[in-house]
Amino acid sequence: MIETPAIDYGALSPIIALVAGICVVLLVGLIGPRGRRGLSSALTLATLAAAAGLLVWQLGEPDADLVAGALRSDGLSITIGLIVVAAAALVVPLQLRDPAAEEAGFGETHTLLLGSVLGMLLLAEAQNLISFFVALELLSIPLYVLCGSHRSRSRSLESGLKYLIVGSIGSATLLYGSAFIYGGSGGATDFTAIAQGIGADLADDPLVLIGIALVAVGLAFKVSIAPFHQWTPDVYEGAPTPITAFMAVATKAAAFAVFARFFITALGPSADQWQPALAALAAVTIVVGNVGALGQDSLKRLLGYSGVAQAGYMLTGLLLGTVKGIDALVFYLAAYMLINMAAFAVIAVRERETAYGDDITAVQGIGKDRPALAWSLTISMLALAGLPGTAGFIGKLFLIEAAVAGNYTWLGVFIVVGSMISLVYYLRVVAAIWMRPAPRLAPAMAGASTEAAGEPGLPRRTGEPGRTPSGAPSGGRCWLVLGAILAATAATVAFGIVPSPLIDFSAHAGEGLASMLGPG
Amino acid sequence: MEQVAFFAGAIGALGGAIAVIALRNPFYSVLALVVHLFSLAGLFLLLHAEFVAAAQVVVYAGAVMVLYVFVAAYVGGVEEPLWDAIPGQRILAPLIGAALFIELSIAVLGSGLKSLGDEGEVIPAGFGSPEAVGRLLLERFLIPFEAASLLLLIAAVGAVVLAARRPAPVDRGGAA
Repeated sequence: MIETPAIDYGALSPIIALVAGICVVLLVGLIGPRGRRGLSSALTLATLAAAAGLLVWQLGEPDADLVAGALRSDGLSITIGLIVVAAAALVVPLQLRDPAAEEAGFGETHTLLLGSVLGMLLLAEAQNLISFFVALELLSIPLYVLCGSHRSRSRSLESGLKYLIVGSIGSATLLYGSAFIYGGSGGATDFTAIAQGIGADLADDPLVLIGIALVAVGLAFKVSIAPFHQWTPDVYEGAPTPITAFMAVATKAAAFAVFARFFITALGPSADQWQPALAALAAVTIVVGNVGALGQDSLKRLLGYSGVAQAGYMLTGLLLGTVKGIDALVFYLAAYMLINMAAFAVIAVRERETAYGDDITAVQGIGKDRPALAWSLTISMLALAGLPGTAGFIGKLFLIEAAVAGNYTWLGVFIVVGSMISLVYYLRVVAAIWMRPAPRLAPAMAGASTEAAGEPGLPRRTGEPGRTPSGAPSGGRCWLVLGAILAATAATVAFGIVPSPLIDFSAHAGEGLASMLGPG
Repeated sequence: MEQVAFFAGAIGALGGAIAVIALRNPFYSVLALVVHLFSLAGLFLLLHAEFVAAAQVVVYAGAVMVLYVFVAAYVGGVEEPLWDAIPGQRILAPLIGAALFIELSIAVLGSGLKSLGDEGEVIPAGFGSPEAVGRLLLERFLIPFEAASLLLLIAAVGAVVLAARRPAPVDRGGAA
């Protein structure tokens, strides 16, 4: 007789909503013509809205272990879930006129996107090794495909393949490490049971330590922490821009959530061992990311390296193992989501409007013609650099404050120095927007949106027979993208001036892990 | 007897794994992988994991390997070098690999874990049987089990996206 585990359908409802949404979007994509983008996008947005609503509802409910302890619904998982869902919702309008989504079909693209979101939600909630690994794969596999989904561009294929191989190495390393931890903790898979199994006796046992090291390397691949970041610029550059935006933001949020939960809940007994190691990684990452971004001409590569540096800042919040640190981490992730979505959306729009792809030339002199895009990109760049008046500044301030309180003042200094270096390349973009003249070659205007972006001078690809020519911008679609950009930018500024709503939001995350964390 | 079986399995597994990366002909690599997977299945049997051993043989050594053989036969005979070495890679890669091996050896040999070195845990009756595994999948690991089924669905959709009829390529790499 099977003893079915107790299932709390209320706490599981965001997951259930997403699963139902995936099935509906997939089926609707199969019926109807291939180019049915409006319906598919609307259904995807509806699914995300339902998941978001249910997550907000769960924010008020007590924390709960779900389904035999496989998942945990608490402040951390819900706040990260909301960040991920918001990122996905901002990506959907961007995909409306995306050549990659058109090529792969909207139903398929949205199914994969929602599948990845589901993986991220599960990952943020995972609290045993098995659900951890399955959720990580559910997050990654759709992204590998989405990166390579613009198959008529060799760059996109290269990006997908590279991400697949590097991501698989990361997953394999993580799995190897999990096996060591499983053995070292006496056969425990639940995070709390691992902590008990390791206890004080085995906290510095070499078998457990090598497991921790391997798991840290596997997760470092996922969140692109140096020296495991080499794939990041290439994959970011090659992937379709909306996917790059989603990857940069949502993968990082979900992976950091499980990173925090696993290291603090399960590996808490060994904290003295992994804290200095992660601190060294964070310092290296901040330096490598910021130095690597100098002199990048491709905006997506630039943001890729910038993402590496930001991962270093975020790792600082994580390794402190304090409530303040986790709060700062989640605040930073939320701010980073808003800022990055706006920046990538502007790049995507310019990529379709000009023949320069994501080169910095594409945004030269747009201050006059496209003030809304110009201001959004400017504010995003300044916020990434951490200038006051933006959410990026408050985020860095919290991280530094938490680092000082957690006796890692030197890491706080690294964050400040890293931000100073980063001003060089962020201001270069701002200067290109406002101070350079627009490039001589007349922009190929929005009609060229289906043409392979990023490879100027190549013959245009005509749409497949039977498919409506999809280049012509209709006012409504443009406004939707522009609205998403402006909303994200406005939120960046608003939370920079009045940060308290976002502070309250991120405070839920620390509460979720509070029983495992030190104060301060 | 058990030790003989263990060493036979271990030598097969290690030899097969080394042969996979050392052999130049991809088809022989695939065959070496089959040897490796069969040896692993033998090791699983020694650990009283009958179900996993059977699944290993049926799924990996059977189904997945047939796929590999097809792929090797389909794209085989490529004369191009399989990889362009990055300068220093041929020296650095084995060095780093060796360093990792030494680290892992230190970790395993230096561990103070009690269950290493003695007879290990007593295995309850029915451990590793299909019934016990099925019970775990439907009770304790229900969520990962369901998530894995969704993963397969998503992977199938992904395969369709990647393998669907190609649009007219606009550049060289598109037709690769």
